[in-house]
Amino acid sequence: MGAKVFVLAAALGVLVIPVVAHHSFGSEYDEKKPLKFENVTVTKLEWTNPHARFYVDVKDEKGNVTNWNFELASPNVLKRNGWTKNTLKEGDKVTVMGSAAKDGARLGHAQTVIGPDGKRLFAGSNTADGQ
Amino acid sequence: MKKNLTSGIMTAAALAAALLLLQGPADSQAPTDAKAPPKGAPKGKGKGKARPTGPTPRMADGKPDFSGLWNGGGPVGDVGQGLMPGEEISLTPWGKKIMDSRQSKDDPEANCLPTGIPRIAPYPWRVLQTSTHIFYLFEGNIHSFRQIFIDGRKHPADLDPTWYGDSIGSWDGDTMVVDTIGFNDKFWFDFRGHPHSEQLHTIERLNRPDLGTLDIETQIIDPTAYTKPFKIKFTATLRPGEELMEYICQENQQDAQHLQGPAGLP
Repeated sequence: MGAKVFVLAAALGVLVIPVVAHHSFGSEYDEKKPLKFENVTVTKLEWTNPHARFYVDVKDEKGNVTNWNFELASPNVLKRNGWTKNTLKEGDKVTVMGSAAKDGARLGHAQTVIGPDGKRLFAGSNTADGQ
Repeated sequence: MKKNLTSGIMTAAALAAALLLLQGPADSQAPTDAKAPPKGAPKGKGKGKARPTGPTPRMADGKPDFSGLWNGGGPVGDVGQGLMPGEEISLTPWGKKIMDSRQSKDDPEANCLPTGIPRIAPYPWRVLQTSTHIFYLFEGNIHSFRQIFIDGRKHPADLDPTWYGDSIGSWDGDTMVVDTIGFNDKFWFDFRGHPHSEQLHTIERLNRPDLGTLDIETQIIDPTAYTKPFKIKFTATLRPGEELMEYICQENQQDAQHLQGPAGLP
């Protein structure tokens, strides 16, 4: 994975206030339950509203594979921040950092995605600028 | 049921937009974001984008033209964040009981229903103004629209309760004063679940002091839910060079079923 890091999210000053999607962030996700999955495989991308979503297969130390669902911002917010529907594709190896769902589902809010080319992508719906 | 409601609203919004386009710009200036950056210029990057500057655009009759693509201008997480100096939110026992009972999973906005007033979805919205109407076209929460009649008519006598109510506007100098009644009691003012009844009456004062700024002061009057009226103010920012995009919230809604606990968290 290349060392080149495109820190778009940091440059935008986002990832500050977990406010702003069409739903309460804090009622669905727990910032104190961070998730980090490294080099996991994207199994599906849903370029849909109200949130784009991607799914990754995660293998534990015993070799068991589970599939996790990660919420992104809406396609509109992602597009306005440089994404396209092809930014993440099935089969891509990515690293995902975010917050886990409060209810214990295999569900997370993606705050940072490091894509297959090593770029760090703006990801979350929790931007601070009203989007 | 919900699906039918949403598709009906979307159809109506599309019709409203089409009618306005047919009506043409005869009584309106060129769109106020005509000064948008040329194609190929960097797209808006949210918070990093400065508020556009310039004089207040005006209609042919000299009145301010509020047209443009805006972001913000209302509460999202907490209506109290916009309280004007000296104002306070004082719930009646009825209002407190409603608010205390609300669960995050039941927030209409999380369930892809309209925001009502004064709440604003965290997505852009466009104002289209003619000499007789002001339309708000919302990208979110559900591709809906709001209409304000500025042709001098009065409120109808027997209104059915609706999400955006019946809005009539009149000029007070350069301020557009929008009076709205006829609300349903289904929408929340914010993530916290501030309530209202069908008695809700809002008086909004719209000002565009310069090109890039739309100030919206809203007086909330609802003696069923609040012991006294209160005023809030939020400011929208012009987003030149951007367009509304499709946002069909019900397409893949997976959030409401995972929302936990009482309303209140941002």
